[in-house]
Amino acid sequence: MGIPSTTVLRDFYAEEFARIEREFRVTSDGRSATEGRASLLDRVILDLSREFLAPEPGELKKLCLVALGGYGRRELFPHSDVDLMFLWEDRTAESHYREGTQAVARALWDMRLRLSPTHRFVSECEKFQRDNPEFNISVLDSRYLVGDRELFAQLRNKALPHMIHTAWSDLLRDLSELTQQRHNKEGYTIFHLEPNLKNSPGGLRDYHVAWWVRLISKMEKSGRWATSEDIWPRNARRDMVAAFDFLAAARCFLHYRQGRDDNALSYELQAAAAARGIGIENCRAIEPAEWMRIYFRHTRAVYALCTQLLDEALPAPSTFRSRLGWKSRRSHSGFSVVGARMSVQEPASLRDPQRLLQVFEYIARHGIKLSREAEDQIRDALSARVDLGSIIPTLWSNFREILLAPHAAEALRAMHSAGLLVRLFPEFGAIDSLVVRDYYHHYTVDAHSFMAIENIHRLREAQQNWERPFANIFSELEEPELLFLSLLFHDVGKGMPCEDHVAGSMEAIEKVFTRVNLQAEQADTVRFLIHDHLAMSASLLRRDIFDPETIRVFAEQVGTPERLKLLCLFTYADIRAVNPDALTPWKAESLWQLYVLTANYLSRNLDEERFGAVAADLQFIDRIFPLVSANASREELASFLEGLPRRYLFAHSAEEIASHFQMARKLKEKSVQLLLERRGQIYALTLLATDRPFLFAGVSGTLASWGMDIWKAEAFANTAGTVVDTFHFTDPHKTLELNPSELERLQTNIEDVLTGVTARETLLRGRAGAQLKAEPKISIPTQIRFDDSSSPHSTLMEIVTQDRPGLLFGLSSTLANFGCNIEVALIDTEGQRALDTFYLTFGGAKLSADTQERLRVRLLAQE
Amino acid sequence: MMRIEAIIQPSRFESVKEALHQMGVEGMTVSEVRGHGRQKGHTETYRGREYEVDLLPKIKIEMVLPQNLVDGAVQTILKTARTGKIGDGKIFLSKIDEAIRIRDEERGEGAL
Repeated sequence: MGIPSTTVLRDFYAEEFARIEREFRVTSDGRSATEGRASLLDRVILDLSREFLAPEPGELKKLCLVALGGYGRRELFPHSDVDLMFLWEDRTAESHYREGTQAVARALWDMRLRLSPTHRFVSECEKFQRDNPEFNISVLDSRYLVGDRELFAQLRNKALPHMIHTAWSDLLRDLSELTQQRHNKEGYTIFHLEPNLKNSPGGLRDYHVAWWVRLISKMEKSGRWATSEDIWPRNARRDMVAAFDFLAAARCFLHYRQGRDDNALSYELQAAAAARGIGIENCRAIEPAEWMRIYFRHTRAVYALCTQLLDEALPAPSTFRSRLGWKSRRSHSGFSVVGARMSVQEPASLRDPQRLLQVFEYIARHGIKLSREAEDQIRDALSARVDLGSIIPTLWSNFREILLAPHAAEALRAMHSAGLLVRLFPEFGAIDSLVVRDYYHHYTVDAHSFMAIENIHRLREAQQNWERPFANIFSELEEPELLFLSLLFHDVGKGMPCEDHVAGSMEAIEKVFTRVNLQAEQADTVRFLIHDHLAMSASLLRRDIFDPETIRVFAEQVGTPERLKLLCLFTYADIRAVNPDALTPWKAESLWQLYVLTANYLSRNLDEERFGAVAADLQFIDRIFPLVSANASREELASFLEGLPRRYLFAHSAEEIASHFQMARKLKEKSVQLLLERRGQIYALTLLATDRPFLFAGVSGTLASWGMDIWKAEAFANTAGTVVDTFHFTDPHKTLELNPSELERLQTNIEDVLTGVTARETLLRGRAGAQLKAEPKISIPTQIRFDDSSSPHSTLMEIVTQDRPGLLFGLSSTLANFGCNIEVALIDTEGQRALDTFYLTFGGAKLSADTQERLRVRLLAQE
Repeated sequence: MMRIEAIIQPSRFESVKEALHQMGVEGMTVSEVRGHGRQKGHTETYRGREYEVDLLPKIKIEMVLPQNLVDGAVQTILKTARTGKIGDGKIFLSKIDEAIRIRDEERGEGAL
């Protein structure tokens, strides 16, 4: 072929460009299209150098034309810049060829190519250029085009290896900083409604960052250049090749469609790419949501490898090292921390599923990420069919620890990424990278679920005023693990073939229950949270929350204060995990107001909302009756429930109520029935007895005399006068834990006090010294509030005061001595603040204003 | 052209938006706001602490409409936002002299 004029060359370029585009339209092969354009440019530059530099390429001495960056890698996207370096050996060569190189550049510009030419002496390339990190990086992908081959060999085999050996840590630091800046701009998440194929986390830029880290590391360690064959870690190669093929196809599609270097994957272009089957085998058309699911799977893999490689290559920041601390590493001698990543010292131990879970428990506690090797080792262990069945009996106790630890979301993401989460809970696989394409949900469903869990844990460090009330609720939860479990699985139904995603999630959670060993009432709470997870936001957004009827209906749906707390936090976390702006301070305040109004309704209408012979209440009989013994009748059960506050029915599982009923039936044989159970660090005492004066005071006094710390109690009675009291207490001195036989003696002691065998007045004498406790950390003034409007027959008294040993005994004794009958009691503690609510009668009626005042004086005098 | 500013109960927003769309109103600006008129706030006590609920949550809808849609839009808001209770909100109307679409600088009702 002769030397063409630039006009002919421009036409030739345009024809070839169009041919490559036509081929892409048929194959949607982005890799081939980018290689095709690089080869086309190679030919154009060769021809231009013949025209302007030397008729025969072999005649070019001391000058070499070098392709850089994407062009150097033969990944030249249709409208990307062309990075070209004119490499001189010395000034003589520069002055000899200066005009010719300028003509080459001009001709390329005339062809409307976006050329970025650079001129360098080979000696300059030996040095790390502190003020030009982009050049330092782009020259790593240098490729010979035309000219002096020896000069190029000097660059490739001497100058660049020298630069890398002397400045590899600077190179990596620059790369890391540039990546951090870019990720920061994009919010450190791959999840964007309209991502940028090049710059968004997990996009092509991250793919190349990972590429450069490997290139630099390989040269630094082995003194040779990595090739496309061996650049990727063994286990990552398939994922990275597939990710590049998909992203390259998508980027070519955008460039051709937009006619410019526009990498924004808009909503409309996502649909167009899906309809064309871009990046899909055989160009099969698929739904846009499915296409984006594939996009997110690829970007997740790229983002993970990119951040892993950067973390491994760079030393951990000192703050991170000090946070982790020497002690924590010592306590888990099987793990070590290199850079900012953890490694497993004995990979073979990962065949033990218990050990596998310990890895993630460690991540959940320390917020540290897995090293690439550790992740590979876990994948290897899982692919070797590690027997996960053996951990089922203890799965919940291990998984619970992960959910409760402050970095639970990080651990769950790592478990999901390594494939363990789906192995343990196949139900979760339904929402892997699942996209809800409605322009409101920013994150895939799996990422949304992890983020919701993260939102709750972040409440530990609540910064905003509107976050703090929710942080307080979180600190009061009895079993936060149930909230986390519900959040994890609440949306799995979205990935199941069912009309209503809640129904799907309910079906899935039942399967989860076969693997996590929850108690019946715990499972009920999780079912409630999943089934009603939209109830609070629906009330918030579609009902007038200042209408008492709205509150009544919602409160009845929720049932108990504990469930209200859980649902409120669930709603907070769920809305906040939809998109970064979904939970506005306005919504958060409204949510808090709904919470307060409902919480007050639940405690102030307790006396009124009682079990009766109405259809809704009779449903409880249907649930409980099958669980009671064969010789009991429905009427007998109904009679036991008659007059108990509905809250009792919501607060206890059907199994528990059936057990209480059986205890009530035994009252004829023994007048006090007790059930003492241990639930983790908390003891639960249930008492059934016929109502009598000083009953509540007797139990609370006995528990206080044993040094137990009562932090929650409820006292209810049915119409027949059978009392059902529950006390939740901790054992701060470990008396019961260290002396199991004392459990029996404590129960006997309570019975003796209630039956008059032991004098109530003597109870706290022996603990006089123990009550001389340290000054409280905060001073809480006593407030007493009476309310006659909440109940038709009782006066509600709310008392807030400083918590102290024997407080409840003192209060209930004063009430009994005063002549008040406790119809209902709700005892709660918040830090050092005791929050007690009593529904009282005096002589069978409400307390008069005068009686209320006298009682107030008496109670204050007791302090 | 008229500017309609409606302050309504949050619980009525979805219905109002749907009804406006159905009658041909294509664009609106929506804000989450707080305030009170004659529906004054109140104090709530929770766990011994008092919370002033003096500014109540409302939704503000703003739209600029050609004259022929104004009456219909006002009637639609009145009908769908009303619960009959205090706190249902207000509608404010004001004249607009000019509207300009930034993209192509079209002016007048065509820019709406």
